[in-house]
Amino acid sequence: MKNFLITLGVVLLACAAAFGVSYLVGADPAMRAAAREGDAMLWLRAEFRPDAAQFAAIKQLHDDYSIACSRHCAAILAARERKAPAGEVAALEKVCVDAMSAHFRRVAALMPPGQGARYLGIVLPRVAGYSHQGAPNVRVTP
Amino acid sequence: MNPSRTPDSLSRTLAGWQVVAPRDPQFRTHVRARLEAQAVAPPWTVYARRYAAAVAGALALAVVFGALTGHERARARVVADSERLATAYVEGLDARAMQLP
Repeated sequence: MKNFLITLGVVLLACAAAFGVSYLVGADPAMRAAAREGDAMLWLRAEFRPDAAQFAAIKQLHDDYSIACSRHCAAILAARERKAPAGEVAALEKVCVDAMSAHFRRVAALMPPGQGARYLGIVLPRVAGYSHQGAPNVRVTP
Repeated sequence: MNPSRTPDSLSRTLAGWQVVAPRDPQFRTHVRARLEAQAVAPPWTVYARRYAAAVAGALALAVVFGALTGHERARARVVADSERLATAYVEGLDARAMQLP
């Protein structure tokens, strides 16, 4: 009985060790770092593997777009604040969506071959699937 | 010599002496159980060699199961992290998602 229990322990240890090694090997350290930092640009880098030049260009595009995004944001917030007609808010949101989609296409064009289409396949459905349900969050849109 | 304990009287006493011991039907079982309890288990290495096929099979199964499960869990975590960050990335650039402080 004692030897059987020792055997059981050895088997469980082997199982746990195999799990640990396989988990560490299968994990993506760059993605883990991005998740830990909550850094979307690190995610972009980990997920699509642009080279340094591509990443710098993408980052520049994002920085430039953030100015346009701030303008759209201010316009939408002002319209909401003054209880503008729904049509006006919708028109402002359409400008935002069009600008955002164009920005994402420009970013995709800077990605390594094959990654651009994958990038658009990830981000565009999230733009289209946006619903006005409270503050930005990190919920995954199905 | 005590006259009452002469060889004759001893012989008579012995001749008439009967031991009546109660029979224990579980006597053999109890003896076997005691012997087995006191038996020393062989070292594990000997035990493992004796059941080498079974031990090796169990180890192989455990390693394969652990490796597959670990890999699957790692991939699931990467996918979940990526999904969460992708949503945060898009919302960070989506003016519609901005709220008044």
